[in-house]
Amino acid sequence: MSDALVSAIGLGVEISGRRIIDGVSLSAMGGQTVAVVGPNGAGKTTLLRALAGLLPCDGELKVGGQDPRVIDAASCALNRAYCAQKPVSAWDYRVRDLGEIVGDPVSFASWLEKLRLGDCADRRLSGLSGGEQKAAHLAMTFAALAEPFGAVLLLDEPAAALDLGRQEAVREAIAGFAQSGAACVVATHDLSFAKRCDLVVMISEGRLIAAGEPAATLTPAVISEVWGESASWGR
Amino acid sequence: MTATKAWMAGCGLLAGLVVLALSVGTQGFGWGDGGSLVLLRSPRVLAALAAGLALGIGGAAQQGVFRNPLADPGLTGVFGGALFGIAVLLGIFPEAAWHRAWFIPGAAFAGALGTSALLTLIGSGGSASRLLLTGLGLNAFTAAGTLVIASRSGESRELLTNGAYGDWLGMATLELTWLPVLLCAVAALLLLPLARSLDLLSFGEDAARGFGCDVGSARLQAVLLTALAAAAATCLVGQVAFIGLLAPHLARAWVGPRHAHVLPLSALLGAALLLGADTLGRGLWPQAPLSAAAVTAVIGAPLFIWIARGRHE
Repeated sequence: MSDALVSAIGLGVEISGRRIIDGVSLSAMGGQTVAVVGPNGAGKTTLLRALAGLLPCDGELKVGGQDPRVIDAASCALNRAYCAQKPVSAWDYRVRDLGEIVGDPVSFASWLEKLRLGDCADRRLSGLSGGEQKAAHLAMTFAALAEPFGAVLLLDEPAAALDLGRQEAVREAIAGFAQSGAACVVATHDLSFAKRCDLVVMISEGRLIAAGEPAATLTPAVISEVWGESASWGR
Repeated sequence: MTATKAWMAGCGLLAGLVVLALSVGTQGFGWGDGGSLVLLRSPRVLAALAAGLALGIGGAAQQGVFRNPLADPGLTGVFGGALFGIAVLLGIFPEAAWHRAWFIPGAAFAGALGTSALLTLIGSGGSASRLLLTGLGLNAFTAAGTLVIASRSGESRELLTNGAYGDWLGMATLELTWLPVLLCAVAALLLLPLARSLDLLSFGEDAARGFGCDVGSARLQAVLLTALAAAAATCLVGQVAFIGLLAPHLARAWVGPRHAHVLPLSALLGAALLLGADTLGRGLWPQAPLSAAAVTAVIGAPLFIWIARGRHE
């Protein structure tokens, strides 16, 4: 556990008197990809926000060797990148502006190419589809990590709203980060993606249901229990 | 338009307006014998430039920090707070107020800070309407307070009434204006380094913090410096709405929304707008000049409705 880049033990989050996350433990080593799965309202987004240090939470937490609750945002962001589920900008930036804002336009441009947005660099965000906007924000998130080795990538529904080509590009990007020594924690509804991850953490109503290798976690019995009898692999 | 072209156009416009403003006055058009009229008009021109600069960049910062294109220190009550602060000082210590150069700017800053704090506590984090309605309430309260104090204070009544109408530029002298002008420049210079934080904040608090922005510190700095800019500008011109709204919108239309360009260009355009409004008000009616606030309201109010309508649709 001590070598883990992400280590959460008994994590709990309470918002407006309601326990959204209750006693969830999770661990990810460098090189591992962990899928956080669960039905709508299970607390996946809240769990990721807590791991990113964006929410007050109780329990033990170490991300990149440090507790994100006690260090400043700039130090926290040195080796941790977080991409929200639906990032929306108040201003209508050009796509290429995002590279300047994140501070590494060259890396950003390279990620735009990989996510098949290279020809959109001069377009405004309002002119992009929801999926393209999400891909642009993912490029921003990836460009923010200068050194993948020892870094932590926290992605909330990264492939939602993306077309099949971009979904695959995002999966390749996540795999690339993991191969370079980063720990990736990905909240997703895509169980076929989760099946390809190193570990799966399944939560429901804020509680840990199962954790372990995909084959042991994503069993028909557990899926039926969490999503209901009619649920299946889908894809 | 590229940033370079926008800067050249803005600087050219401002230079032309400065020459025009120095040439226009109640004595007619011209610079007088040996430029005597230029010397006479310089403090007013300097005050308008500094106040416009502070209002322009203050508006851009307030819009950035609240993620709201309709935010403006005049409309959100920060100006009203600054004038109320001055009114309280003049009402309680009418003579002591003029003993130290920083008493009046200090009172304006305290008032602006008070309304900024209330605006942040009550109005932020919700919809655009919530921010503007909070500003409306703060404006109404501070305006009523200022009027009550003005009506009870014989000596300061005319001064405060003129301030409420944004008509203080006419009494600008170097002795009265040097400190507020300096404060306008300081506030503007200190707001410039916040550009990246304001860009990151545009994606929401989570995203900004995720990218390493200390949201609390950035927000506090922006609110404090906007209050300082509004307070210093109020000391120079009184209450003027819409400059802080118009200048950032024009800047975004010219160079796009990145705050590294929007903040300085808003300062430049704010200075040009206020100086232009003041010059227009003096030039068209030299015997009974129209205040800069009245001219900016005539231009700004329809634009505000247009922006609000566009946003709604």
